Amino acid sequence: MIAPDKRANRNAPVWKRGVSPPALIPYLVAGDPDLESTRHYLKIAASRGVFAVELGVPFSDPTADGPVIQAAAQRSLRHETAISSLLDWIGSIPREDLPPIYLMTYFNLFHHMGLRAFCEKARATGRIAGVVIPDLSFEDARDYRPVFREFGINLVGFVSPTTDPDRARRIVRESRGFVYYVGLMGTTGAALSITDSARKMVGQLREWTALPVCMGFGVSSGETAQEVLGFADGVIVGSRLVKDERQTDLWEKTFLEFVAARDRAGRLS
Amino acid sequence: MKAETVPGSTGKASPVLPDLRGYFGEFGGRFVSETLMAALYELEHAFRSGWKDPAFKKTFLGMLSNYSGRPTPLYPALSLSKEAGGARIWLKREDLNHTGAHKITNAVGQGLLAARMGKRRLIAETGAGQHGVATATVAARLGFECEIYMGSEDVRRQALNVFRMKLLGAKVNPVELGGRTLKDAISEALRDWSRTVGETHYLLGTAFGPHPFPLMVRTFQSIIGKEARRQFLKAEGVLPDALVACVGGGSNAIGLFHPFIADTKVRMFGVEAGGRSLSPGEHAARFSGGSVGVLQGTRTYVLQNGDGQIENTHSVSAGLDYSAVGPELAYYRETGRIAFDSVGDEEALEAFRTLSRTEGIIPALESSHAIAYALRLAKTMRADQNILVNLSGRGDKDVMEVSRILEEKGEIL
Repeated sequence: MIAPDKRANRNAPVWKRGVSPPALIPYLVAGDPDLESTRHYLKIAASRGVFAVELGVPFSDPTADGPVIQAAAQRSLRHETAISSLLDWIGSIPREDLPPIYLMTYFNLFHHMGLRAFCEKARATGRIAGVVIPDLSFEDARDYRPVFREFGINLVGFVSPTTDPDRARRIVRESRGFVYYVGLMGTTGAALSITDSARKMVGQLREWTALPVCMGFGVSSGETAQEVLGFADGVIVGSRLVKDERQTDLWEKTFLEFVAARDRAGRLS
Repeated sequence: MKAETVPGSTGKASPVLPDLRGYFGEFGGRFVSETLMAALYELEHAFRSGWKDPAFKKTFLGMLSNYSGRPTPLYPALSLSKEAGGARIWLKREDLNHTGAHKITNAVGQGLLAARMGKRRLIAETGAGQHGVATATVAARLGFECEIYMGSEDVRRQALNVFRMKLLGAKVNPVELGGRTLKDAISEALRDWSRTVGETHYLLGTAFGPHPFPLMVRTFQSIIGKEARRQFLKAEGVLPDALVACVGGGSNAIGLFHPFIADTKVRMFGVEAGGRSLSPGEHAARFSGGSVGVLQGTRTYVLQNGDGQIENTHSVSAGLDYSAVGPELAYYRETGRIAFDSVGDEEALEAFRTLSRTEGIIPALESSHAIAYALRLAKTMRADQNILVNLSGRGDKDVMEVSRILEEKGEIL
C-alpha cells in the first residue's frame, strides 16, 4: 500500500476505500458548445457530489480521442478556450459551484505555456486538483513529474490492457489523485466489453494503492457504469456525456442516469 | 575507405544517438498513450535484435538489391550545373528505386520486422502517396493485409498514387479532419494502431514519431548516404563540399546526411517547404516559423499558434506539407551541424521544369525543393566544388497537378 502524498493539494477530493461513495468522474469538453453551458454542467456535477470532473481543454490534434470528442474539441476551438484563459475562467467560478477539477489535455498545451507557468497559475486559482495527460508517457513524465509535485498538482497515471504487471506497479506508485485504467484498446468512445482480465487487473491495482482505481473509455450507459463499479473504485464517463453537451436537458438526463448508477452501486457495496 | 583516411573528414565518431529513452539531446521521446507503449517496446526489441541478426540483414539488403534496384546511381548533372553556373551538381538517384522514391527502403525494412514480430496487418499514413504506395507494395510482396490513411486534400492531388495503392490491394481511407493532409493522416493511423495493436504494425514513413521510429527509419535510410559517400569518393577521390535534401518529416535528409555527420567539412542543407509565403498556415518551414513543441509522439520543432494549437500548413508538394519535423534534424539544427532554409512553391515548380528540360529527369515536387536550393547554392560556389543532392523521388505522381497549376496560370505547355 502506498500512503497518500503528504503534499497532495487541498483542492483534490478526499477519498477512502470502503467509506467514500464510488467515484463518479464525468468528462466535459470546456467550451462545448460554450463556456456558459460548461459552467452550468459543472454546477450540476458539484451538486451531485461527483468525485471530480475531468475538464477537457480542446487541442487541435487529439490522437487518443474518437470522433465524438474530436468533434466537440473542434467546436470549442472556435472560441477562446486557451488553457491560460480557461484557468482565469475557472478561478472566477464560486467555489460552491465547482467540483474538484482535473484538467485533461495533450502535453503540448502545458509545454507551450511552460510547465512552471501553468502550475503557478493553476495553483493560484485554488481550484485545480490535477491533470490527466494521455500522451505523456510514464517514461517522458520523468522529466516533468517533479514540477507537478512541487506545486501539488496531481499527475494521474494511466494503466491499459497492454501494460504488463511490473510496469503497472511502477505507474501506480507514481500516480497521484486517482489511477486511470483504460478499459479498452483504442480511442475514447468505442464500445466497452468488460473482460475477466480487466477485472483481474483492476483488482490487482487496488491491492497496490489506496487511491481510487477508476475505469474509463467506452462507459456508455448507467448499466455499464454500475457493472464497472462492481469491481472498480470509480468510473469515468466521457464520450457518452460529450455527445449530449449541446442540449442541456438531454445532458442532465444522461448525467443523472450515471449518478443513479453510482448510487445503486454504492448501496450494493 | 575509412573515415579518417578521407580528406575533409575528421574521422570523429558521431555521438551515439538517440539515448535509451529515444532522445537526441532535448528532442525525441515517446509521447504516446499508454496503450501503445508495449508495442513500441516490442518494436524496439525486434529492431535491435533484427539489425544484429546477419540473416535479417541479408534478407533486407537482398530485397533492396533484387527487388528495389539498389544501389541507386550517383549522376553528375552537368547540364543542370551549367544552367546554374558555379559548382557541379550531382544527383543521388533515389527516384530510380522501385515505386519511385526512397520510401521503399524503409517499407522493406519495417515490413520484414513486422513479419518477424508475427503481425498480419500493416497500416501507414501517407502525404504524397509515395509512402502509401511503398507500404502497399511491401504488403503485397510479403502477404500482409494493408490499410493506408491519407488526407482527403492529398487524395485529390495525388490521385495516381491512390489508384496504385488500390491496385496493390490496399484499402485507402481518406481523412476528413483538420487540414486534411499528412498530420491528420498520422493522427488517424495512431488511432487505428491503438485499436488493433496486437495484430497490426504501424509502418510509419519518416524519421518522426515516438522512439524507436526516428532511430529505425534513419538506420534503414542511411543506406542512401553510405552509397553516396562511397560512390562520390570513387568518382572524385574527395568528399562533396555540400549535401542538399528536402525535409518533410526528414527521412531522405537524415538518410543522406547521417553517414557524413563526422565529415565536418561537408556542409549540409535541409530544405523545407516555403509554400506561398512565410505567414502562418501558408508554408511548412518549421525551422523558420516554428518553436519547440510536442506532436504525435515526439518533442521537436512544430508550427503552432500562441495558444499551442498546431497550425495547418501549405505546400505545393504533399510530402513536405507537415507541421513538425524529425527530432534528430532538430537536434543537428541546434548543434549547427545542419543548416536549414526554405524554398517556396513557385521556385520549386521552376526547378521541376528546369531539371526536366536540362537533364530529362522529372523530379518529384518534394525533391524539386532540393533542386531549387542547389541551383541557388551552386551560384555561390566555385566550378571545382561539388554539391550532392538527394533526388528523393520521381515526378510521375505530380505531372497532373503541375499541369493543372500551369493551366491555372495560363501557361499551357
